[in-house]
Amino acid sequence: MSKKLLMTVKTLSASLLLASAAMIINPAVAADKPSTKGDVGRGAKAWVENCVRCHNVRDPKELRDDQWITTTYHMRMRAGLTGQQTRDIIAFLQMSN
Amino acid sequence: MKFKLTTLACLVGMSLAGNALAATDTSAEVKKLRQEVNALNAKAKEWEEWKAPKTLVHLAGFASVGFTQPEKGTGSFSTGSFSPIFHYQFAEDVMMEAELEFEGSATGASVAGIDYMTIDYFMNDYAALVVGKFLSPIGQFRQNIHPSWINKMAAAPVGFGHDQAAPNADVGMMVRGGFTTDSGSHNYALYVANGPTLEPNTAGTEIEMIETPGLNQDVEGAKVVGGRYGLFFAEQQLDIGFSAAVGGTSVRLSTTNYESARSYQVVGFDMTWRVAGFDVRAEYVSQKVGDSSSSSITDGGTWTAMYAQIAYKFNPSNWEAVLRYGQYDTPDAASDVNQVAAGLNYVFASNVVAKFNYELNTNPNAGQTAENRMLAQLAYGF
Ligand code: HEC
Repeated sequence: MSKKLLMTVKTLSASLLLASAAMIINPAVAADKPSTKGDVGRGAKAWVENCVRCHNVRDPKELRDDQWITTTYHMRMRAGLTGQQTRDIIAFLQMSN
Repeated sequence: MKFKLTTLACLVGMSLAGNALAATDTSAEVKKLRQEVNALNAKAKEWEEWKAPKTLVHLAGFASVGFTQPEKGTGSFSTGSFSPIFHYQFAEDVMMEAELEFEGSATGASVAGIDYMTIDYFMNDYAALVVGKFLSPIGQFRQNIHPSWINKMAAAPVGFGHDQAAPNADVGMMVRGGFTTDSGSHNYALYVANGPTLEPNTAGTEIEMIETPGLNQDVEGAKVVGGRYGLFFAEQQLDIGFSAAVGGTSVRLSTTNYESARSYQVVGFDMTWRVAGFDVRAEYVSQKVGDSSSSSITDGGTWTAMYAQIAYKFNPSNWEAVLRYGQYDTPDAASDVNQVAAGLNYVFASNVVAKFNYELNTNPNAGQTAENRMLAQLAYGF
């Protein structure tokens, strides 16, 4: 096998491995996503604990409801929040702005 | 929001109703009242739509301006950077996130670039697939602290700037997310990407730096695979992270000509701890490039950097004091720096900060020097 081909195979297997690792983390991937609604009480706790980890805490009044959705999803990526924590925090921020 | 709207509607309704009763021509008044209530309902519906439409667009970002006074040279004003961030989100499934970077320069031309641009697919509550150009998930400074309103110092720690010891960005794919267990919150990022290239010095005798701007081509055909695993203990307000990546890289001979692959490794450790009003951060990162007997530059090398920073905000005043120690160690004796930096910040708002810093820079190698600097910066995140 040529070196180039070997590299391509290696990259593809690494990518596949990555994707399957993600699938294993939640066996229910193929099924519908669990969409438990955000909970304001849990959201308040998660907000206090998580939103000071990297920067000064941002006032809920700074942004509109829709802007808090994109921002919190962006922060989910940065902080490694779960989907449920994200929905809870959005519920809290939308209630407090 | 809903509660506020209902209250508003009731109040308006009640006052209008009062007027209507007192009026003589009731049917005309009732008609007018109906029209007003309908208009109000339409407005309320419009406001509700802001809450959760399917497609969302949001413009965020940050900018900074400053003044730098080197110990010996002349001081200069500078526009630090202007970095708009775009978020486009479709329902709870897909997000496009992109950060552009515009930087002024000493010669007049401004430098523009894509800091990151990814399409993220939220696969489930615990994992998202990220494809595109992303900030390197190695360590914490590059991905989480670099925006000027977040960094408590005016400049990056030594070794954590562009093309130094800490990888900056990469192009590839990544799976990242988090989950919680009894022991704490876990977060992870696993990636495969094109990886860095090596810039030789002008004489072509040494590797001058590892470039990690996130290139759209894998010049030597050896991908880099790695990631970061982080643990967050909410009660203790303690974050720790371990990062590593391995793969290949190569020396750039010209913009189109690259040498064959040699080995590349990076390891990192980072932590943040908020305790008794103090904000403590530390990070270590080391990139290692292997030797290559077939290369015109046989020797590889190791680029290592670390910092430890402590900050304290004197609540309820707006003042914050910061102290940072950093070390940057490279194969080139002239580039090594040890730094002690002290800063005083005025925090106008959580996202608007004025910083006043003094950096004591020394080169630990015999016969080498480094210059001290004073920096002032105004940073705004939006
Ligand atoms: C892991 C670090 C980290 C955590 C935890 C974090 N943020 Fe951020 N936040 C950032 C970074 C980094 C940026 C700058 C955006 C960029 O450069 O991509 C940012 C930016 C923001 C912004 C500015 C708008 C934007 O999207 O750029 C807001 C508002 C914000 N964060 C709110 C929050 C909230 C609310 C939480 C809690 C859910 C949170 N942050 C938790 C790192 C973090």
